[in-house]
Amino acid sequence: MSQSILVPINDSVSSRVMIDFIVELPVEKESFRITLLHVFRSPQAGEELMGKRFMTQQPSVLKAVLEKARDKLVEKGFDPGLIEIKLVEDPYPTVAEGIIDQFNKGGYNMIVIGRKAMSKAEEFVRGDVCVKLVRMLRGTAVLVVTTP
Amino acid sequence: MRSRRFSDTSNFLDIDRGDEIIVDGKTYRVTGHEREGRFGMEEPKFWVKRVLDVETGEKKIIKLAFFETFELTLGGVKIKCFRDPDKEGRILDLVKEHPHFMHGKSSLDEKGNNVRVLDIVKGGDFYRFMQSFDMDHEEYFRDVLPEVLKKLVRLFDAIRFLHAHSLRHGDIRNDHVIIEKETGNYVWIDFDYDFDGKESPFSLDIFGLGNLLLNAVGKGFHDMHMISGSPEVYGDLASRLKPGDFSILNKWRLMNIQKLYPYVPRMLNDILMHFSQSSEIYYESVSEVTEDLNRCLWNIW
Repeated sequence: MSQSILVPINDSVSSRVMIDFIVELPVEKESFRITLLHVFRSPQAGEELMGKRFMTQQPSVLKAVLEKARDKLVEKGFDPGLIEIKLVEDPYPTVAEGIIDQFNKGGYNMIVIGRKAMSKAEEFVRGDVCVKLVRMLRGTAVLVVTTP
Repeated sequence: MRSRRFSDTSNFLDIDRGDEIIVDGKTYRVTGHEREGRFGMEEPKFWVKRVLDVETGEKKIIKLAFFETFELTLGGVKIKCFRDPDKEGRILDLVKEHPHFMHGKSSLDEKGNNVRVLDIVKGGDFYRFMQSFDMDHEEYFRDVLPEVLKKLVRLFDAIRFLHAHSLRHGDIRNDHVIIEKETGNYVWIDFDYDFDGKESPFSLDIFGLGNLLLNAVGKGFHDMHMISGSPEVYGDLASRLKPGDFSILNKWRLMNIQKLYPYVPRMLNDILMHFSQSSEIYYESVSEVTEDLNRCLWNIW
């Protein structure tokens, strides 16, 4: 039976490290159904200050990131027919809420997510998507791949 | 000299004592500027005018649109902060009937600037209140703190109400809580600041609540400078402290009050320790804080 895995990614080093980790897993790659997901967070004032052009470019930038991740998985032996790309452009209040919503809609067996190292102060102020997933998801596995 | 009349408040620096502001069909005469008193300094806030309602003679405060942005660094983390007059206006609309917020009305002047006409909350602020007790800590802890904590729970719950409507106070400080003279209610003021919250949209509001609680439990703040500089007050405390005893965002501010006052029960101290450098888990919602506080009130007093 194939396992269905949700893999949230963004344009970050930690996402790239996590994809590198997945492709090296000693598993039967043809039996995994993988959904590469990106969800948007409602823009904050600071992001709006970066300009309209930056904001409007984001969907196409993230689509390219998702496609690149799919290419890497296929190159390393995952079945292209079992890899789906999902770019959810309707923003959520937080990324964690978006991932949880998508997870609940999709009937997945597992989430794999990358996590960048951060200080305690940073975690307190900015929040940590991974911690929220571990705290809020029930009846599933959350695999967190940390960046060295 | 005839007073000048302003129905366009864009240039708030030009509006001075004796001038009149016209907003929403009403006329207000400027009597002065509000000042911010912190750390012994008194800075005038030129976008905040003291006024008289010309028709009724009632004293009010008028806040004019001022779009200030700056970067705050807390615990090494840079946070973008900014004033958002429209957000304050939305909160004023939301809390019209709420006893724990200042009240007022938000309108647009003829140029579309957000002008907030505020009722004055009469009373002293919570910071000064905490410094006003002429008794030792143990007596304060036994006789005064339980009532203060009960009021803080209600005050914190008012912030939960804002968060439930996806709004932040944005500048939670001990001097932004007024103890209303007539009712004894604790009342939030000044909520035009906002910040970028990313994955934890309410973190700085919650951190501010932690500071209020710390001030209440400790009967004031205790920082490393005070502790190491006053051995006659703090005894050997300095030698017993570790980095994990201090605030997660202010490395010199003592959170582990139990080390200073051993009779502070662990259950209460643990709430404060959620805001310390040694914590591995943090409050993510106000209701988590108030649940723990209510449990303390029930079990301790």
